[in-house]
Amino acid sequence: MSRLRFVFAALVAFALGTATAASPSSQSIRLPDFQTVQLDNGVTLLLAPRKDVPMVAATVLVRGGSLADPAGKEGTADLLAELLSKGAGDRDALAFAQTVDGAGGSLGFGSSSEAITANAQFLSRDSGLMLSLLADALLRPKMDAAEFDKLRKHAIDGIAAAKDGDPRRLIGTYSDAWLFRGHPYGRPDSGDETSLATITLGDLQAFRQQQMGGDRLIISIAGDFDPASVTAQVRKDFGGWGKASGALPQVSAKARESGRRVLLVDKPGATQTYFALANIGSQHGDPARAAQDLVQTAFGGRFTSMLNTELRVKSGLTYGARSSIARLRQPGDASITSFTKTESTKAAIDLAIATLDRLHQAGLDNTTLQSAKHYIAGQFPPSLETAPQLAGAIAWLALYGDCRDYIDGYLGQVAAATPEQVAAARTVFPDSRDLVLVAIGDAAKIRGVMRGYGPLTEMKITDPRFSPTP
Amino acid sequence: MRLLPLACAFALGTAAFAAHAATPAPSISASVPGSGAIVSKTLANGLTIIVWPDHDIPSANYYTFYKVGSRNEHAGITGLAHFFEHMMFNGTTRRKPGEFDRTMEAAGGSNNASTSNDLTIYTDWFPSSALETIFDLEGDRMANLAFDPKVVESERGVVYSERRSSVDNDSMGTLMEQMQATAWLAHPYQIPTIGWPSDIEHWKSDDLRQFFKTYYAPNNAVLVVAGDVDPAQVFQLADTYLATLPRQPEPTPITTVEPEQLGERRIVVERADAQSPIVAYAFHSGIGAGSKDYPTLELLTTILAQGQSSRLHQRLVEKEQAAVDAGAFAEAGFDPGLLWVYAALPPGGDTGKVEALLDDELAKIARTGVSAAELDKARNLKLSEFWREMATINGKASALGSYQVFNGDYRKAFAAPAAFEAVTAARIQALAAKVLRVQNRTTGLLKPTAAAETTITKEGAR
Repeated sequence: MSRLRFVFAALVAFALGTATAASPSSQSIRLPDFQTVQLDNGVTLLLAPRKDVPMVAATVLVRGGSLADPAGKEGTADLLAELLSKGAGDRDALAFAQTVDGAGGSLGFGSSSEAITANAQFLSRDSGLMLSLLADALLRPKMDAAEFDKLRKHAIDGIAAAKDGDPRRLIGTYSDAWLFRGHPYGRPDSGDETSLATITLGDLQAFRQQQMGGDRLIISIAGDFDPASVTAQVRKDFGGWGKASGALPQVSAKARESGRRVLLVDKPGATQTYFALANIGSQHGDPARAAQDLVQTAFGGRFTSMLNTELRVKSGLTYGARSSIARLRQPGDASITSFTKTESTKAAIDLAIATLDRLHQAGLDNTTLQSAKHYIAGQFPPSLETAPQLAGAIAWLALYGDCRDYIDGYLGQVAAATPEQVAAARTVFPDSRDLVLVAIGDAAKIRGVMRGYGPLTEMKITDPRFSPTP
Repeated sequence: MRLLPLACAFALGTAAFAAHAATPAPSISASVPGSGAIVSKTLANGLTIIVWPDHDIPSANYYTFYKVGSRNEHAGITGLAHFFEHMMFNGTTRRKPGEFDRTMEAAGGSNNASTSNDLTIYTDWFPSSALETIFDLEGDRMANLAFDPKVVESERGVVYSERRSSVDNDSMGTLMEQMQATAWLAHPYQIPTIGWPSDIEHWKSDDLRQFFKTYYAPNNAVLVVAGDVDPAQVFQLADTYLATLPRQPEPTPITTVEPEQLGERRIVVERADAQSPIVAYAFHSGIGAGSKDYPTLELLTTILAQGQSSRLHQRLVEKEQAAVDAGAFAEAGFDPGLLWVYAALPPGGDTGKVEALLDDELAKIARTGVSAAELDKARNLKLSEFWREMATINGKASALGSYQVFNGDYRKAFAAPAAFEAVTAARIQALAAKVLRVQNRTTGLLKPTAAAETTITKEGAR
């Protein structure tokens, strides 16, 4: 069993949004030439051929996603996405899986907040087969009732199992739910045990009819393939898909929270407290993106960041401390997350808050700023190395309507960010007086500590939602 | 205190020079684009260096494989290899604690490291313009590591925090640790890589120094550099920064051979904070990573568990709906390892039923073997895996280093697809019959013991 020295789940949390400046060679990193084909029914096809290894990657996005989930039925889009491959075309669920696995391929469906997603990778020789499977799944899913029942039960049981696992995997879900309480961004993409139980096959069929169609479809293909034959097949397979009947979900921005409120998620017997401090941060297209990413890198986005230096390197309170910025179409969260043994909960949260205060009071010195610029520059190229990375990058460009300069120009923006811009960008992280706090831990031992940070609400980790009952 | 005083290192280093001219890879690698450009050589101090130039992106990787892991530990110093993984970042006689990371990140690089039963692997990812900086940093810590007592104490807390998350607060982590300690009677594979808590609390600086001197020597390491580099420059930098490091006595070989298991071992782990039971089996595979039978073992676990159409997923998750997740994987290093089979149950799940299902499925593959279609599928899955690894400089460095340390020759990495093609259905069946026996396994059950509690929500309790 491998034990990593440090796990930075999203080190360059934003590969797409990150890039750089240091060396001349890294500034030349840019997307390869790719071709965009618009089909008459609205399908956007993006083609990025490259000879590297004999494999092909496809990213498929259907605009809309989990934000279109009906209230109280969170998880609808995600369940639908999973059901698409549980039997499609003339294959039942087992035959479909056997065909994908038999070719040595991978094909995974899911839903993010803004799109239903499919990611496929396969050997070049199987391009025709795998594209036809994608078409079957999207256009001709069987939507079998027995398969639906299994999936829904599986999803509910999976959440319970996850709650017995490493709480690092859940703290973000609870934190989003608490920060965005009552707002669509607070709803878990994969649903919770309560919402999943209310979803019916009819809900999925209605969602599919309203939210899926050729006009919402983006197909991005990268790797070792023949563009002409792939284009012809996509026209044949997807060119006849009609339009979605419903409107795309619309979301308004949530204002930044004032003051503090605290959620304590009781996990009796836990030997460690997992915590998040968050507020509203930035959004996709923010002109301050590059400057904010420099702040994020220096504050909590790398091993020598201010947070990791204080909480891990200097004090040994934790295995890891980091910050992150989520950019959706509307502002997402800017957060700090870490964990520490139960006894040092107060020391670690206090130190995280003090470090946040220091960011705002002292800012970044020039040495740190230059280091952050070089760091982003050095870590960006590997985020565009493989066919799946390229397919994903250009698909999401299309989803947001960005031009390629969103990626190609990024390193230049990072290099050009002035100290003044970076100083101003610190406000992407909240003032410590305005924080939404979440802790997962042994409530009997840390209740008093958590109460000290603001008005306290409690729930149990076994509660079937990720937020307290309204 | 310096472990290797500079004067000593320099004196010994005067005789250090390239023992062999760089040699290109033979034609077996020609099927992988760019593999013909691989070169390697071994320095006089025993450090093997492999370079794969690849100019797709202006980046490079520097991977150091040290042949040390938890199998090299004993009671009192369990977890030391992993702790050492941390300490290799914490200062030298030339650089203060933290300077390694600060210097690397300022040059655009990042790093990490991992420890297993068998290896400790240090990984650097950086713009190729930082190549010399990386050599300087890595050469320094291989030669001049320091052990500041304050840093040792602080890092102890870090490692303990890591243990709490990955083992103590994680049902699967807890169960696997207990099963590993039960499955091995004699071999040090019984030691958890993260270490037992009391050992984490009691390592001494002298333990670290001795461990460093023994294992972190050039003759106990393999270096792989892949990416946007010129091999001649890599070797020149290696001569400057690494060739002067002294060879150390060869570590004492691990000679313990696990005696044959004489019957099933069963353990039950009870957790008050869990909702979901787990059933797991650990079989002695009898196969190490360098064994000719290793591809057969890999195909067996692939057929059992990889993909939605795999046997275990179909039977336990889809057909019987008795488990949320079911899987299998094999651990294999310098010595034969364990083949793990597991099923995660829903809350209230019936562990007896799941055991019976697992038993039936495992008996079936031993009794009736695998179909031609299943074998083809498994080979194709392994072929895709091979090409995915070859698609990145990170994967290339990892593959070359792994084959070099476990198989004695990085070139064997390129023979993997052919090795999988050569495995027959009969060999898979025979291996299943030999390994998947109840007498050869440790059975682990994780049982939640908490009574169901009602939802309690306290709003605004302050």
